[in-house]
Amino acid sequence: MSEARIHARGYLAYEGPRHSPSRAMCNLAYHTVQRVLGLKRSNWQKVLPALTLIIAFMPAIVFVGLAVLLPGSEELELGESGEYYVIIVGALYLFAAFVAPEAVCTDRRSGMLGLYMASPLNRNTYLVSKFAAIVGVLAFMTIGPPLLMLIAYTLEGVGPDGVVDWLAELGRLLSAGLLMAVFWGSLSIAVSCLFERRTRASVVIFLIPLVSTAVGDGLSEATEFSDSYQLINLFSLSVETVYRIYGQVNPVEGAIVRIDTWLVFAVTSGLIVASCWFACWRYQQIEIER
Amino acid sequence: MSDLIDAPVIFAEGVRKSYGTNHVLLGLDCEVGSGITGLLGANGAGKSTLIGLILGLRPRHGGVLSVLGVDPHQSGPELRLRLGYAPEHHNLPGDVQAADLVQHVAQLHGLPKRIATERASNALWQVGLGEERFRPIGTMSTGQRQRVKMAQALAHDPDLLLLDEPTDGLDPVQRDAMLALIGQVGSEFGIDILLSSHLLEEIERVCDSVVILANGVVGYSGALDDLDSPEAGMRVEVDGDSQLLADVLEARGAEVSIQHNSLTVSSSATANDLIRDTVAELGMGLRRLEPHRTTLEDVFIEVSK
Repeated sequence: MSEARIHARGYLAYEGPRHSPSRAMCNLAYHTVQRVLGLKRSNWQKVLPALTLIIAFMPAIVFVGLAVLLPGSEELELGESGEYYVIIVGALYLFAAFVAPEAVCTDRRSGMLGLYMASPLNRNTYLVSKFAAIVGVLAFMTIGPPLLMLIAYTLEGVGPDGVVDWLAELGRLLSAGLLMAVFWGSLSIAVSCLFERRTRASVVIFLIPLVSTAVGDGLSEATEFSDSYQLINLFSLSVETVYRIYGQVNPVEGAIVRIDTWLVFAVTSGLIVASCWFACWRYQQIEIER
Repeated sequence: MSDLIDAPVIFAEGVRKSYGTNHVLLGLDCEVGSGITGLLGANGAGKSTLIGLILGLRPRHGGVLSVLGVDPHQSGPELRLRLGYAPEHHNLPGDVQAADLVQHVAQLHGLPKRIATERASNALWQVGLGEERFRPIGTMSTGQRQRVKMAQALAHDPDLLLLDEPTDGLDPVQRDAMLALIGQVGSEFGIDILLSSHLLEEIERVCDSVVILANGVVGYSGALDDLDSPEAGMRVEVDGDSQLLADVLEARGAEVSIQHNSLTVSSSATANDLIRDTVAELGMGLRRLEPHRTTLEDVFIEVSK
């Protein structure tokens, strides 16, 4: 055994390769995913992310488990693909309201935004990274469970016929999942960029869909333009968009099913674009603490 | 090649910046060379605005600005890969371990993960937080947080370090240690430093040169050693009428300024003899005759008027 000891750690210059500035976006997105999921944080910080993931995944996991344990069982009545999104939208709502604000609010409150702006990131690339992180986690919740369901359908022998149909179903699943994730992610980030305190952002995000539901339903019943007013209801709108992607009819009776598909997509896309634009505009106005 | 070596770290010519109708920088000219440079100025003098422009976070409204040879607004991300920045505020995410934060910032500045982990640990050892590196930042004292800020600015081996009030909130012992660390970084690590502060004593202790901002322009820029140059003249205090002595010296060709009964006589080969002889002729007692040392405080007060 050598008796050698390190008595001083002299400063060493770094002459090796450096990643390009665009890699900083990936690092920030990865770091944000870790933060919002509560990784490397206290157990308490993991509760809400875990709860939303459980809500999104549990029914699919139970179904897949039953499909494996009880193959061919008549108990396994499979609904239409779009129906699962009614469950998922609840998980998305909770995640967007109570977990996602952590991604941006805390950076402003903790002064990290100033450090990020002194790195190769700028306001726009910072926001893109944050948005990608939130949408990534939301997409995991919107794509994961239906993908498990698709596998279960296939295992049960009641899935799409042939490779082409299976791939078409996969395409619809990915499109619907991604659109839902972007919809709720953009809403969350647009509201979160208004607040430094996460709890305030959570309250507002929590209330917006509820208010939109009350206003949409109220106006639908009170006016003769009932169909269009249903588009104000954010829950109905996001779920209806998924049904339209799947080409299925929403079994829940409501005026929204009578609205033209192009209008449903236009309003959904418009809300996403408006939310993203607002977040970008807002971040150009923010004075960064130095 | 020699042009690159001799090029100033920061070069500004006629830099202007406004926020609406508030004109903050009104044609700033300066050259910051290698070593440790102090950036002084009263509140509202434009220090933070200048740092923002150096980081390339805001567009300027006129003039030329070059940092490490590039325009920060046009090449912001590439430039910031080579910059380290320790902000003034003490807020850092409380639930994050110091090592994780430093590693994260090093990765953002382009270091591969393994290297970033290694250098984060080393940087925390360098700033004296080796044993504390896995502690959540929220449990650390203000002094320790200042050191974490220094470590995150150092870990990716920047060419230029921007330190904004690095001793703010520190007690005297911690302040001495931080200043010693800054001196070590500037001299031993070979990293150029721009140190923004409003504490003259700190700037005098660790900096090689200083840039003083006043009213949106550079009031003074130069090496601190220049303040003590022989050209600064002789300082004279006498028992007697200082004004009379000043008048006689001026009549004999000397340049004299008077302030609070203290005369400053411009340097010349015969200045000492002239003063001695004149004081003797006037029958005054000579209380002080010494090379005039212009302090940073003198300059700061002068340019801030």
